[in-house]
Amino acid sequence: MNDDTRQQNTEKTPAIRRSVMDAIVKGRVTMRPRWHFILISALVAVGALFVLLSLFYMVSLSVFFLHDSGAWLIPSFGGRGWFSFLRSIPWLLVFLIVVFAVLLEVLVRRYAFVYRKSLLLSAAIIVVIIFLGGFLIAATPFHRQMAFYADHNELPPPLAFVYGASFRAPPPPDVYHGIILATTTGGFIIVDQNGAGTTTVRINDRTRLPDGVDFSVGTNVVVVGDRVGSSTVQAFGVRESDE
Amino acid sequence: MAEETDEAIALRVQAGDGEAFGELIERYQAKLSRYAHKFLLDPDDAADIVQDIFIKSYQNIQSFDATRRFSPWIYRIAHNEFVNALKKRQSRGTVFTIDFDTLFPHLTAPDTADSAAIERDTRASLDRYLDKVSPKYREPLVLYYLEEMDYKEISEILQIPVSTVGVRLARGRAALFKIAGPQPLYE
Repeated sequence: MNDDTRQQNTEKTPAIRRSVMDAIVKGRVTMRPRWHFILISALVAVGALFVLLSLFYMVSLSVFFLHDSGAWLIPSFGGRGWFSFLRSIPWLLVFLIVVFAVLLEVLVRRYAFVYRKSLLLSAAIIVVIIFLGGFLIAATPFHRQMAFYADHNELPPPLAFVYGASFRAPPPPDVYHGIILATTTGGFIIVDQNGAGTTTVRINDRTRLPDGVDFSVGTNVVVVGDRVGSSTVQAFGVRESDE
Repeated sequence: MAEETDEAIALRVQAGDGEAFGELIERYQAKLSRYAHKFLLDPDDAADIVQDIFIKSYQNIQSFDATRRFSPWIYRIAHNEFVNALKKRQSRGTVFTIDFDTLFPHLTAPDTADSAAIERDTRASLDRYLDKVSPKYREPLVLYYLEEMDYKEISEILQIPVSTVGVRLARGRAALFKIAGPQPLYE
């Protein structure tokens, strides 16, 4: 900056007070009322709370979908199990969870107790909180009840849409979840959870079975295996499900 | 009689005493002008920007919590105005994009016996080389060495972790010393 400009700025300095006070006295500049700031703070707080509750809901819904499809148990079958598990993840929900988590971080970043922490630490705390809340809700019968109502067309359209097929990942073709209807010499027959169809499950000495579990009629099981007939599956592994 | 605090004056303004705001302008005009000149590197419109800061401060004074200190509050408004001014100047992008300094937690180094010498050297090189340091590191240097704010106040103004203030100051000092080169910083 040249000396002339510096001189001009210096001359302007005493004028600042006069100019600002003149604007205030003549009413050209007015104070925003306190309620304006209280309203903004309240809106941000309510918005952040809404986003947090939505995150709890979406995380718990994802966990419910994974439980419901039986995919929750299949990583224990090793590489093949993990592959099927990844295909079972409701990725649309996961995407929404990431978007909402970023939104939550942005909303709460204005608070000193958040911006005083590193971005990574505050993000990690948010992730822990939403997973804890999500798993707590998933442990309640809430989603099971809602899915039941959705199956019986007793939910309003937006909720029925959520519990329908739209958000669920398509079931992996090699995972079968159902209740044992009858036992056979080489395995058992399961009926799927909706009672819509049966599948015959064949077990051989290479099938991965949990120790000490008696697969009797009425046991809820998850089976990973290859279809060998129209309704027959050669089991790669079987796990008892608590759903 | 003790001088009335900034917070007490701000309370009077909040209560409707508009004239009291003049006292706050009196107290902060020189400081904010210096902050503007050092951070924005003697902009032609420094006086206009400082005037805008006072106008915004008056408009938003009801958002000031009088149980806290007034100076970080008004400096926060100044910071926002300056960042906007820098954004306007730059033809592309934003001034601060993804800030990796705030991404990870940092440990703040404790003061050592060398601290006083480093501080003396930094102060000596500020006048000569500050304009060559990037705005991201220039601003904490200005706030710490020229405005004499502490880490916590700078953290409040920039809304970054206290440890990140330490990191930026260290990097700002390193940049200053690198620019200054091996020659003595002051004779």
